[in-house]
Amino acid sequence: MINIRYATLLALLMICYNPVVLAETAWPLQLASESLSEEDYIGEVPKVLTVSRLSQSLTDAPSAVTVIDRETIRASGAVDIPELFRLVPGMYVGVNAGYVYNTNHAVSYHGMNTAYPGNMQVLINGRSVYTPLFGGVKWSELPIALMDIERIEITRGPNAASYGANAFAATVNILTSTPSETPANTVLATHGNGRNEAFYRHAGKTGDLAYRVTTGYRQDGGLDDRNDFKRTRFANAQADYQLNLNNNFEFEFGLAEGARGEGNAQEDNIVFLQRTKQMNNYYGMARWKHQLSETSDFQLQAYHSHDRSDDETTSVNLRPLIALISPILAASLVSDSIYVNNEVITERTDVEAQHIFGLGANIRVVWGAGVRQDTTYAPHYLGNKKTDKFDLQRLFGHIEWRPHALWTVNTGAMLEHNDFTGTDISPRASLNFKPHPNHALRFGMSSALRTPNYVEEKFDQKYAIATTLLVPRLVLQQVLADKGNVNPEQIISKELGYVGKLGGVQLDARIFSDEITDVIRFNERTDFTVPADVLLVNPTNVDTGLNSGSAKVEGLELQTNWKIGARTSLLLNHSHIRIRETHFGLERNFTKSMPVNTSSAMLTHDFKNGWDASLAYYQSSETTQLGDGDPVGLTRRCDVRVAHQFNSGSWKGEISGVVENLFNEHYEEFADYNTLDRRGRINLRLDF
Amino acid sequence: MNGNIKKVNDFVKELAHLVLMLGLGLPFSAYAYTGVTIVLSAQTQANQEFIDTFKAELANNKNNNLKVKVLALHETEKLVVAENSELVIALGVKALEASAKLKFTTPVLGVFTPMPTFNSLLVKAKRDLGNFGAIVLDQPFWRQIFLMRSILPEAKKIGVLLGPTSSQFADAIKEEGEESGFSVMEENVFREPDLIPKLKDVLETSDVLMAVPDPMIYNRETAQPILLTSYRHQKPVIGYSQSYVRAGALAAVYSSSKQLARQAAEIALKSQQSPSLLPPPQAPKYFSISVNYQVARSLNIKLKSDEEIYQSVLEADEAEAKEHEEFRH
Repeated sequence: MINIRYATLLALLMICYNPVVLAETAWPLQLASESLSEEDYIGEVPKVLTVSRLSQSLTDAPSAVTVIDRETIRASGAVDIPELFRLVPGMYVGVNAGYVYNTNHAVSYHGMNTAYPGNMQVLINGRSVYTPLFGGVKWSELPIALMDIERIEITRGPNAASYGANAFAATVNILTSTPSETPANTVLATHGNGRNEAFYRHAGKTGDLAYRVTTGYRQDGGLDDRNDFKRTRFANAQADYQLNLNNNFEFEFGLAEGARGEGNAQEDNIVFLQRTKQMNNYYGMARWKHQLSETSDFQLQAYHSHDRSDDETTSVNLRPLIALISPILAASLVSDSIYVNNEVITERTDVEAQHIFGLGANIRVVWGAGVRQDTTYAPHYLGNKKTDKFDLQRLFGHIEWRPHALWTVNTGAMLEHNDFTGTDISPRASLNFKPHPNHALRFGMSSALRTPNYVEEKFDQKYAIATTLLVPRLVLQQVLADKGNVNPEQIISKELGYVGKLGGVQLDARIFSDEITDVIRFNERTDFTVPADVLLVNPTNVDTGLNSGSAKVEGLELQTNWKIGARTSLLLNHSHIRIRETHFGLERNFTKSMPVNTSSAMLTHDFKNGWDASLAYYQSSETTQLGDGDPVGLTRRCDVRVAHQFNSGSWKGEISGVVENLFNEHYEEFADYNTLDRRGRINLRLDF
Repeated sequence: MNGNIKKVNDFVKELAHLVLMLGLGLPFSAYAYTGVTIVLSAQTQANQEFIDTFKAELANNKNNNLKVKVLALHETEKLVVAENSELVIALGVKALEASAKLKFTTPVLGVFTPMPTFNSLLVKAKRDLGNFGAIVLDQPFWRQIFLMRSILPEAKKIGVLLGPTSSQFADAIKEEGEESGFSVMEENVFREPDLIPKLKDVLETSDVLMAVPDPMIYNRETAQPILLTSYRHQKPVIGYSQSYVRAGALAAVYSSSKQLARQAAEIALKSQQSPSLLPPPQAPKYFSISVNYQVARSLNIKLKSDEEIYQSVLEADEAEAKEHEEFRH
C-alpha cells in the first residue's frame, strides 16, 4: 500500500519536473482529485438503513415470508402482478373473467376464496389497496408497472399485529424501487397474444430531490370468446426529498383510467349483459421519515385514494320472463326492461404514525397508531344514493427481544376499532431458536380478524320494476339484503417453521394449523319481508351475510431456492393443505376452496453472452372456489422464457420472448367459464 | 509485496533524498521550530477534538516546550505564521491549500486530507516532501480487507467500484485482497448514470462490497441508492467512515480525530530538531473499527464483539505494517 503510494508520488514528482508529461497526464488526475476533500471521507451521510428500514432477518422473523424479487419477476415472464403469486406456496391464483365488478384474478391464501378474496391485506409501499366494497384487489386497475417493482414480500400467516385486520390469512407488500435506483430512461414494449403494452419511465435528480415518472398503456384482450378486454392508461410519480440528514420526505401520485369489457351470458343473461364500462382512479401519498436518534425513527404517512367505475346496463325484455309467473303482470309492467346504474365510487383516507426504537442492544420496539376512513357510494349495491362512511382507528405494538444469541422472541398486538364490528384485539407471539446462523426453528401463534366487507354487512341489492297495477305495484327481485351486525371472522394460527441453508439450498418449511371461527358466509335470509303491495319473485332466495360454522385449515408448505452453480438456480415450492369443518354451518364447497396440492417450480439458467432462459411449471389439484367459483380440475402449466440482454454503449436493454402454457393444456381456473390456452409474447426493453 | 515495487520504493527513497539534500535548486534553510500553528479549514467538532488531544499529547511529553496556536481560516484574511519558527498543521484541504502558499521553508503537515488531493497540492504548490507532509485520510486497504476477513470468514469475493479518482488503486486493492485469499471483482464507473447498474453487476458476483473513497461514487447523494441496493442484494458494505456505518454499512475502519492528533503530536515532537525532514506522507497509524450490529442482524451475520474484531484486525495490521517497514529499510 505504502509502496503504491510511493509510486504515485514518484509519478507526480516526475510530472512536476517534466512539463510535457504534465500536459498529457497530470490534468485528468488533478481534475479528479481536486474535488476530493475531507468531506468525502469523514462527511456525514444520511442514515439509509434505519431501524425502520431494516427488516428482520428471515431467521428472526415471526412468520414465514416469501420474497419475490426483481430477478424472479423478470425470470417469470409475468405481465400481471397476481401471476407472480403462483410462486408462493399456499396461494391459489385463478384467472377470472367475471361478469360484474371484476378483479380479473382471484388470489387467495389457504382458500376460502371468492372472486373477491377479502382475507389478504395487500399494500403497495405501505398503502392498502384492497377494496372495501367486496374485498379483494382490482389488480388490473392499479396504476403501477411491473418494471417499477423492486420486490414483493408475502407474509404467510396472520399478520394483524403489524398490518391490522384483514391481514388475515396473509399480507402482500409490494415495494417499488426508489427513484435514485432507477435508470434515467426506460422504454418497455410488449406484444403478444391478447396483449399489447408500452411503458415509458424517466428518473432524475435535482438537488436533494430524486424523482421517477412512469406512464403506460396496457391492452389486454382477456380470455378467448369472452368480453373481458381491459384497456388501461396510467401514470405514476414517486419522489424522495432529503431535507437534511435527519428528515426525509417521500411522495407518490398515481392515476389510471380505461375501459373494461364485462358480461358473461353463462352467469347472467338478464341484467348484466355484455357491455363496456369505464373506470378511473387516483391516489396521492406523502411520508415523512424523521430520525430521532441512532436507534430511533419516527414516521408519519398519509394517503388518499379514489376509485370510480361506471357501469350502466339495461336488462333484456323482462315481459316474457314475468309472463311465466303471470301474463297479466307482464302486460302491466311500466317498461320492458330495467336500467341499472351501477356506478361505484370508493375513497380511502388513511393517516398513520409509527415509532421504532431500540432498547439496549437486544430489544427493538415498534408502535404506532392510525386512523382510516373509507367512503362508498354504490347506489345499486347499497340500495341508496348516500355515501356510506366506514371509520377505523387502530393502535399497534410489536417487540422483538433477543434474550440470548440463540433465541428471538416476537410479541405484538393490534387494538382496532371500526364502525362495523366495534373494538377487538389481535395478539401474536413467536419464538425463534437459532442453534446455528444457517438454521432456525420458529414456533408461532398469531391471531387476526377479518372485518366483514360491505357485501357481507351492508348490501341491499335488488332489481325492481313498477307496474300499472295497484297490487302488486312493484315486482322485486332481492339479491342480497344484509342484516348487518356480522361479527368479524377470527383466525388463530399455530405453526412450526424451519428456515435454513443447506449448502446452496435455501429452505423454508412449515407445518401449520389454522382455526377459523365465526366464518362469514352468505345464507338465505329467513326473516325478509316486503310490503303487501310488492311482489317478491325470489322469496326463498334472499341472501344475507352472517357468521356460520368453523373450520380448521392444516397443512405444510415448502419453499426452496437452490443455487445450482453460479449460473443456474431452481425455485421449488409445494403446499399440501386440508380444510375441515369443525363446527357445522360452512358454505357447501368451503372445504374444497383450496386445492389440496399446489406446486410450482422455476429453473433459470444464464448462458453467458447475455442470454438467459427460464422454465416454469405450475400445478394445482382440483378445487371448487366459493362465490362464483365452479369445480375446476387439475391444472398444469408450463411457461418458458428466453431473453437476450445487450449493451451497446449508451443503449442497454433486453429482448425476450415468453410462451405461457407451452403444451397448450386447455384447463379452467376459478370457474368453468375461464379456459386458458397457449399464449406467446415478445418484450423489448431499452434503458438509456 | 513483489520485488518491482520494492525497487520503486527504493528509488523513490533515493529520489526523495536527492530532492531534499540537493534541494534541486530550491533554497531552504531549516530552524528548529518552537511552536505549532494549527490552521483550521472550519470550526468543527472533529477539529476541536484534534486540537484538544494534540495539546494534551504535547503536555504529556515533559521534554518539550512547543507552543500551540490556532488559526481558523475564515477568521483571517491572510495566514500569518512565524514562518521560521513554527510547524504548521493544516486541518482539512482548504487549510492545507492556504498553508501550501507559505514560505517553502515552513514545515507544513496536512491532516484530514485525502491522499490524491495531497499529491496534487504537492505538485501545484511546488513544495517538496521534506517540509510538506501529511497524515492522509486514506487507510491502508489491507485494514479494510483484514476487517472483512475477521467478520465475514465465509466471504470469497470482494466487490469494488472504482471511479476516476480511485481507479489508480485497482492493482493495489487486487494485490492486497489476493494476499488475504479474496478474489477482487472490480467495476469502473466513469459516468454517474452507470453507478447503479455497475453496482448491481458487482453485487451479483461478490460477497461483500468494499467502499473505496471516490467523490463520484460515494457521496451524500449516492449513499441511499448504494446502501439500499446492497441491502436488497443482502450483501454487506465495508466502509471507510463511521458515518457510513451509521448510514447502513456493516463495518468500517477509520481513524478518529484523537488518533490523528496523537500521530501528529508524535511527528511534531520527532521532527522538531530537523524540521525540513518531515516524514513522508503517511497513512493513519492508529485506527478504530465501527460495526453496525442492527445491519448485521438484518443480514443474518453473526458478529463477534467489536473489541474482538478490533484485536484481530490490529494483530494482522501490525504484522503487515512490520512487513512493509522491513521493505522500507
